[in-house]
Amino acid sequence: MPSVFLILSWRKTSCIIPAAYKHSSEEALVVALQRRDRSALEYLYDHYSGALLGVITRIIKKEELAEEILQDVFLKIWDRIDTYDSTKGKLFTWMLNIARNQAIDKTRSKEFSKGKKTDDIENIVSKVDRKEFTELKVEGIGLQEILQKLPEEQRFVIDHHYLKGYTQAEMSEEFNLPLGTVKTRMRLAMKELRNLLKIA
Amino acid sequence: MNVEEYISSGILEAYALGELSEQERKEVETNLQQYPALRRELALIEETQEQLLMKAAIKPSAAAKTTLFTTLDTRRSASKVVELDTKRSDVSFWKFAAAAAVTIALVSSYLAFNYWTKWKATENSLSDLIAQNQRVAQDYNTVNERLDQIEKDLNIMNNPAFNRVVMKGTANAPGSIASVYWNEATREAYLSIKGMKELAQENQYQLWAIIDGKPVDVGVFDGNFAGLMKMKEVQPGAAAFAVTIEPRGGKSSPTMETMQVIGNVVKG
Repeated sequence: MPSVFLILSWRKTSCIIPAAYKHSSEEALVVALQRRDRSALEYLYDHYSGALLGVITRIIKKEELAEEILQDVFLKIWDRIDTYDSTKGKLFTWMLNIARNQAIDKTRSKEFSKGKKTDDIENIVSKVDRKEFTELKVEGIGLQEILQKLPEEQRFVIDHHYLKGYTQAEMSEEFNLPLGTVKTRMRLAMKELRNLLKIA
Repeated sequence: MNVEEYISSGILEAYALGELSEQERKEVETNLQQYPALRRELALIEETQEQLLMKAAIKPSAAAKTTLFTTLDTRRSASKVVELDTKRSDVSFWKFAAAAAVTIALVSSYLAFNYWTKWKATENSLSDLIAQNQRVAQDYNTVNERLDQIEKDLNIMNNPAFNRVVMKGTANAPGSIASVYWNEATREAYLSIKGMKELAQENQYQLWAIIDGKPVDVGVFDGNFAGLMKMKEVQPGAAAFAVTIEPRGGKSSPTMETMQVIGNVVKG
């Protein structure tokens, strides 16, 4: 099955027009940003601020603070766009990592963060917060519908990572699943989502 | 490298999720350079992730955008020289300006002091709380570690694969008692002790297994530990265990006169 898939995707690369177009438009956007084009940043903000704020909010769990971090994230993107390297991944993934790290740094800048075991207490506290919080925050119209189509095990990892802000390691620890199992389920879930979202 | 296996390990997902260590990330990046199939797969994963997160977006307030771009503009104009309009410097303007400046200065120094006091108080209580939290966390760790240890010991004691060999005190140490938990199949051996006196700095206890009538070293220990201590592996066929007192570090053959406890293996 995977080999069939590889052959298919190899044959397709030469003729996928939308993907190629998308890629080149992203490239143009990066070039404009690197030229310090303000309207490019505005486009970037209009297009991606929601997705990034979603990620930040789910990690930080405080709305006002999340918007503050979002500001810092965009300033960072603006200041560091020269360090973005497209061979290492998409622009969105790069921004996502900045957002995630900024949010995680914020959660660590508070209280105790020494040693691994002490995190457990923090996890217990944040787990309680998370439960209440995620119930408020399931917006994404259409998202729930798509997730419902995943097998339960796969929905669990996607839901906990993307909607509840857990890392794979945290999931493994908190729900007593081997890390390898979490990774495999995440992989299968992402493949299934690829079909459901019609990405090829 | 087997590309398919590499892909199905889920490492590219972890990479896109930003969950790899610095070193793992570098490895993936090197592999991406080398294998186009990996780049294609990663692009699909990233696209899936992007669409998913776009659907889970939370729209920021309109104010957030204004603030961001104002900040950017301020940063930019701060670097430019502000030109003064000299024509507007008539007397009444300056009077007004001076009065306003004094008022602003007074009000803001009052506010500054007020907030400074409050901030100091908050900072003190915050650092108290942080210290308190750290103490609680440390206690929790200590207790948790002890609990882990006890749980582990209990598992060994309850495991039927471990044969308990009780060693009773000899005339040298009638109050001492010790037990060896020995798994003949895996050769693991654990020791627990009770009532064994503390030795002088230059001495240590040494545990022996008697195999085919010959004493074999199973490791040395001090007389002050609690719970179970893991000893050296014991080959199958041990008929008895005994403890002697030896110079620190142990010897290759036991000093029989110093024997403290001894007990036979009872096959269960």
